[in-house]
Amino acid sequence: MIASTTRGKYAVLPQSKEPGDPDERLVFLIKKGKNYFPKQYQQLWEQTCTKLANAGYGSLIPLSYARHSPKLIEHLDPETAINLAASVSLAAIKVNRAASELLPKAAVIAAHELQSVSSFNTWMDTIVELILSASESVLPVLERTQKILSILTTEQFRSWVLAGLRSTGDDTLRQIQYFSFTDPESEKWFRHEAGDVVFTDLDRRLKLYLISLWNLRPPIRDLSASISPLASRRITISNGVVQIPEVFPSFHGERAENIFRAGLAHVGAHLIYSTKRFRLGELKPIQVTLISLIEDARVEYLAMQVFPGLRKLWLPFHVAKSSGPQLVPHLLARLSRALIDEDYKDPNGWVQKGREMFFDDKNDMNDPMICRKIGVLLGNDLGQLRAQFNAKTYVIEPPYRDDNMGLWDFGDSQGEDQDNQGIFIEAMHIEHEEKQDNSSSNQNHQEEDEKNEQQYHARESKDNEQRESDVAVRYPEFDYLTGAERPNWTCVVEYFPNYGDAYKIDRILETHNELVIRITRLIQAAKVSLPERLHHQSVGESLDLDACINAVISRRIGEIPDPRIYSTTVRKRRDLSVLVLLDISNSTNDQVLNAKESVLELEIQATSLLAYAMSELHDPFAISAFCSDGKEDVHYYRIKDFGLPYDLKARAYLAGLRGKLSTRIGAAMRHATKDLVGQHTHRKLLLVVSDGEPSDIDVKDKKYLVEDARKVVQSASRLGIDTFCVGLDAGGENYLNKIFGRKNVVVIDNLDRFPERLPMLYLRLTS
Amino acid sequence: MNLDSYQIKQEPYYSPTHNEIQLFEAAYASRMPMMLKGPTGCGKTRFVEYMAWKLDKPIITVSCHEDMTASDLVGRYLLDAEGTVWHDGPLTLAVRYGAICYLDEIVEARQDTSVVIHSLTDDRRILSIEKKNEVIRAHKDFQIVISYNPGYQSVLKDLKESTKQRFAAIDFDYPEPDAEASIIAHESGVDKKTAMKLVTISERSRNLKGHGLDEGTSTRMLIYAAQLMTQGVSIEEACQVALVLPITDDHDIRDALTSAITACT
Repeated sequence: MIASTTRGKYAVLPQSKEPGDPDERLVFLIKKGKNYFPKQYQQLWEQTCTKLANAGYGSLIPLSYARHSPKLIEHLDPETAINLAASVSLAAIKVNRAASELLPKAAVIAAHELQSVSSFNTWMDTIVELILSASESVLPVLERTQKILSILTTEQFRSWVLAGLRSTGDDTLRQIQYFSFTDPESEKWFRHEAGDVVFTDLDRRLKLYLISLWNLRPPIRDLSASISPLASRRITISNGVVQIPEVFPSFHGERAENIFRAGLAHVGAHLIYSTKRFRLGELKPIQVTLISLIEDARVEYLAMQVFPGLRKLWLPFHVAKSSGPQLVPHLLARLSRALIDEDYKDPNGWVQKGREMFFDDKNDMNDPMICRKIGVLLGNDLGQLRAQFNAKTYVIEPPYRDDNMGLWDFGDSQGEDQDNQGIFIEAMHIEHEEKQDNSSSNQNHQEEDEKNEQQYHARESKDNEQRESDVAVRYPEFDYLTGAERPNWTCVVEYFPNYGDAYKIDRILETHNELVIRITRLIQAAKVSLPERLHHQSVGESLDLDACINAVISRRIGEIPDPRIYSTTVRKRRDLSVLVLLDISNSTNDQVLNAKESVLELEIQATSLLAYAMSELHDPFAISAFCSDGKEDVHYYRIKDFGLPYDLKARAYLAGLRGKLSTRIGAAMRHATKDLVGQHTHRKLLLVVSDGEPSDIDVKDKKYLVEDARKVVQSASRLGIDTFCVGLDAGGENYLNKIFGRKNVVVIDNLDRFPERLPMLYLRLTS
Repeated sequence: MNLDSYQIKQEPYYSPTHNEIQLFEAAYASRMPMMLKGPTGCGKTRFVEYMAWKLDKPIITVSCHEDMTASDLVGRYLLDAEGTVWHDGPLTLAVRYGAICYLDEIVEARQDTSVVIHSLTDDRRILSIEKKNEVIRAHKDFQIVISYNPGYQSVLKDLKESTKQRFAAIDFDYPEPDAEASIIAHESGVDKKTAMKLVTISERSRNLKGHGLDEGTSTRMLIYAAQLMTQGVSIEEACQVALVLPITDDHDIRDALTSAITACT
């Protein structure tokens, strides 16, 4: 009964009497902790403690367990407290003592945050998962238990951990970076799971917004997270490239969407109205800051002349108050507000002066030089007030405004060098320093340039045979463990296919002459485009004479005549388009049993016969091939596109296919689906030829890619696309049935007959 | 037969954008077959009605659709109490009695259907009706006009080359902002300033053409929005109902468009 009365009061017990000797201290802690368990659990817990103590993990781990586990009872139940020992033990074996020692403490924090046994168990399971698959990362995660669980629910935590495991694969170093939040990806997915609006979620609609508003299509990128602290990150424009922070912290929901929108509208205003760059010259940092600020106000003013509604978008972010300390950053924010918000009243003389100068009727708002004039004057005024301004720590407010890097002409190519340099003011600072001593930093630049060049060459030589086309599209991937798609997870890159010998394809047709004749005959039957006359119809464009006579006879003898007296002609058309997606992963290089060709050779043979059939039938068709090298590099080759002829070039591409890398089938299918959706035919068919189970170098969990592919098939079917798979792996029924559904899979066991079977299969499928 | 019911009695409102009226009159003088090209809702149909009024000729309009057959244009035998009776189709009517025959959105009709107009569009100017064993020489007032929206072009829906080459064409586009605003103001009754605002808004959606939208908002849609506004609907709501929702089901585009509209108001 002691336990029930003392529950919840553990925290107030004095701890000062603990003996110094570890063994004695353990006995003391066990004696003390025991009292907080109900009677029936006391003995079990004591045994658990002793077991831990005797397991040879050292003294600290059992001590930590004995000290912290009773606290779990306060929020959870005794069983959970006892079961914790198993995980502690596992951590000691699989990870290290430090992590194991920390686990009970982290568990108490988790219990305090979660307050429910089921959530706690989910958390514990996730930690165990982490222990088993990324042991090095357990400690960083445990250390951040408080931070993580105060923002994420356990389910979200699990998703975030899975995202980490999925994106880092086997790379321990990257795992540690991810789980200790030094990898920008980590923060991004953390924010994503926390339900924060991240740029990736809005990417497309924001780009469309910019097009719609200004008809501008500047390249927009994520701002690499490592540049500057999260809170001070601002949009930056350099050389026409707009870089956007992945997330604006402390903006949630609609406000977060709006700040991205406000930011892009501001960027648009700059791109349209900030036509000339200011020369830096001898300006002081405060003057530069002020000129930029007034230029911001000027372009916004001009933009609002055309789009008055932008005021509603921008105004809510101007929150500077007319009261408060007269510090320079604060005054600057007040001036910003005074220049956009007519209703805002500011007693400060300097702010008032700025406002009057800006709205002076003599100003030509289309002339950026007024900003320079006003900025320099206001800057001098501030100087006379002896107000302190630290350019290094200054961050532009309101946060939707960009850092104005792009406004300045640094006098030489400096500006371009600063491409990714982050905050403008810092760049200015460097600029000033360099004027005094530019020898050392120039050297650094040079070294860096050389390094970049080397990297570039290395890449170039690697890509020599694999030229990338400029198409790279990001796709989500479905994680069955979380039951949700992770947005923009994989990247499909289109590569130009290699040329092969186009005549090889012609020779294939020649060697399979008999088959070609058979296909031709079948095609003629399948080409049902001949007009067909239908008699005895209730509607039609001509009278069916026999039916008419019958009807008249019926009427004369007093029967009700049959109204179906017309005939009509219908022209049955084949109305389908097909995309053939070939798996060319490394395994296709395997020799086929009882044949001298490799799997890929047979794929090419089969596809050339199929292509012959399709082009003879005049079905719109496309052929693509894919393989993958991790989630960031799914190769996609367009052999033949819809609307293009099946000509020498297409055949050369087909003949030039080489097997390599892995099979990330879902991503490739998503890309193919996108092409098919645009086809204006009644039926759309995605015909996948695959030789093995989906796999990729960065995926350990076999089920993951299968489930993802399954999801793609489902979404494709919602878009009206039928998917069909020809499996070349005799044991493949299992996973292929799971992905495509039993009816939509044919597994060809006798591979040497594959070239013959594929066209036949196609004709059967499409008749 | 009397084509009075096809006569346009009142002057339709039409605001010319270029010299299309003179061009059409010149073409009509030699009864040249005309093709009116341009995006949907930019005023092609209104223009041909206006011209019919101006030239004081009856106009027979056929909206073409996928199921339309040659018989729908030429005519067919139907059965009545006594037996079979021939009924002229709209094209035959126009040919026989002298009207402008306007085939709206001809690409929608199947290619074999549009072939029946071939003999009418060269110097023969005849229509042969095989079923009746009759050849009709076109009335001196007969002219054929088709509309053709290049936005629809695809492998499946395009005019045959042999059809295309029988026509002279006038290209239409949305009017200049100021002219468009006048049209909107005239058709709906809103003031010019509001109309101008709607034109600014339409520019936003026309920017998105090719980026997820097949066509930007048409003048017709803008008139709808303006008409809603004259009934007291707010501009945001009117734009949502008349411009955004009909044009796309894509959430991102809707969102972008709605935000852009908010920026304009």
